[in-house]
Amino acid sequence: MSTEHHSGESPRSEQPAAQRRPDLSRRSVIRGAVGLAGAGLAASAISGAIATPASAAARTARPTRPARRAPGNAARTGPVIVHIRDVATGEMDVFAGLNHARLTDPGLAARLVRGVG
Amino acid sequence: MSSHREAPEIAKDPVADSTDVYAFVSPDQPSTVTLIANYVPLQEPAGGPNFYEFGGDVRYEINVDNNGDGQPDVTYRFQFQTKLRNTGTFLYNTGPILTLDSPNWNRRQFYTVSKVDAQGNLTQLGTGLACPPCNIGPLSTPSYPALADAAVHQLGGGIKVFAGQRAEGFYVDLGSIFDLANLRPFEQLHNQFGMSVFSGPAPGVNATNRLNVHSIAIQVPITDLVRRGAGGETDPRSVVGVWTTASRQTVRLWDSDNGENVNSGPFRQVSRLGNPLINEVIIALGDKDRWNTLPPAGDKQFVHYYASPELAGLLPVLYPGVFPNLAALVKSGKARADLEAILLTGIPAGIIPGFQNSTGSLQADMLRLNTAITPASHPNILGVVGGDLAGFPNGRRVFDDVVTVELRAIAGVTFPLVDKTFTPDNAASQVTDGLDPSSVSAPYLSHFPYLGVPYDGFDNPS
Repeated sequence: MSTEHHSGESPRSEQPAAQRRPDLSRRSVIRGAVGLAGAGLAASAISGAIATPASAAARTARPTRPARRAPGNAARTGPVIVHIRDVATGEMDVFAGLNHARLTDPGLAARLVRGVG
Repeated sequence: MSSHREAPEIAKDPVADSTDVYAFVSPDQPSTVTLIANYVPLQEPAGGPNFYEFGGDVRYEINVDNNGDGQPDVTYRFQFQTKLRNTGTFLYNTGPILTLDSPNWNRRQFYTVSKVDAQGNLTQLGTGLACPPCNIGPLSTPSYPALADAAVHQLGGGIKVFAGQRAEGFYVDLGSIFDLANLRPFEQLHNQFGMSVFSGPAPGVNATNRLNVHSIAIQVPITDLVRRGAGGETDPRSVVGVWTTASRQTVRLWDSDNGENVNSGPFRQVSRLGNPLINEVIIALGDKDRWNTLPPAGDKQFVHYYASPELAGLLPVLYPGVFPNLAALVKSGKARADLEAILLTGIPAGIIPGFQNSTGSLQADMLRLNTAITPASHPNILGVVGGDLAGFPNGRRVFDDVVTVELRAIAGVTFPLVDKTFTPDNAASQVTDGLDPSSVSAPYLSHFPYLGVPYDGFDNPS
């Protein structure tokens, strides 16, 4: 798997410490994505995108094993949204909070697609 | 319109759609500059029960470049939050709203304003700042001016801020301009595509009259914007470039379980506005959406639109025999260096006596303001073209007639600034859509936030 992490947003869009969301490290993004996939996530699918509002996921997912919660990510309450750009190459974007990571993992992409039938 | 619904994608997203930007030395506080960015276009005042508001999921920013690189050196960022008092009623208000904390007001908005410097360091200037309600009518908002005045917040450091509904101050005859540029005062001269519909001139019609917008206005000391040491009118450091942007998080998803949108990912720009009417009538349809996503620093790729504006080629065709010199200029293929200077670099010293608002050689669409030029005691709505150096395109005041100024500039009236051999057509200095500030029913204010009291929904439309 290869990753390209885009932390936050533009270089000039800092938030004060009090408003800063928990940092989403590259490793935690990957673990989160793998965790979601491992959970056999039933997610909304919109024209190639697999999107997972946390509340919806909690109601619809039937995990075969517990999703692993990434270290430092315990307070995350917002959605984690995966957009598979190309199923064949496994290129996908993962969005969480104000962060974005681009992953390349054909196996994960295939599992996610199988997860939505 | 200046920038209302100007591009296909942003036309679908009114709360993020910037409509006008104003930047001027405050006439009643000349040590300050007032910056105004308008959003949520063409509000029909009676549009309840869900009256207009800012987007809680939109990041609104007013950007200031003070070193000519087309990137923000000072940014004022506004983030809004909506609070609902009572989920058990369909009403926006359950009685008269007499104060900003009225228990009768059900759906309120508050905001945080922050300042971001060139390095991305953020300083919160104020939070929990109340917006006024929309102007609903004599029973719901009986003392609207007082409500709006209460929503002018004094922050530290000589800064004041307002965010909320205002009367649309931009006047334009949309109906004529977008009916194949059939300017009513000259409609008998239009080729009318052979249909002979019009035989004489007619007065202009202000299509935005009695409509409202949502304004974000901030007044700041000039010294907060310019580079240290900025001096007089001839000092390049006195000039700043201004534009507004709206950004959304990258992903927006309809969460049908909860009946709401959820957002995720970094903020990305979806709307931009510097000089009026540019993305409206200069940039072509194929580039409008992309233009909205970019900073001014990247505008070199769009220079051909400014150098050869489509409208300059259309005027001689639509008005046969009226613009022969413009037709020859267009045919010559000469680049419109006058428009490039006015809109993309600013006007350098030595072109107009006593005036410059250049930010250097980088071509970037920004509203350029020479902050050292004092407000005019007797303003001319045609600004610099009318001999008033404190008006557009030296910044832009709320009452400036930017439609006429840009029509005349495109028609060739400013080309002699860069080519003394060119003689503009007589019509070039007369062309107009036939409107002026008297076309706006709600009077402008002489004080912050300068745009008039919004029209109420009970009386408008009447």
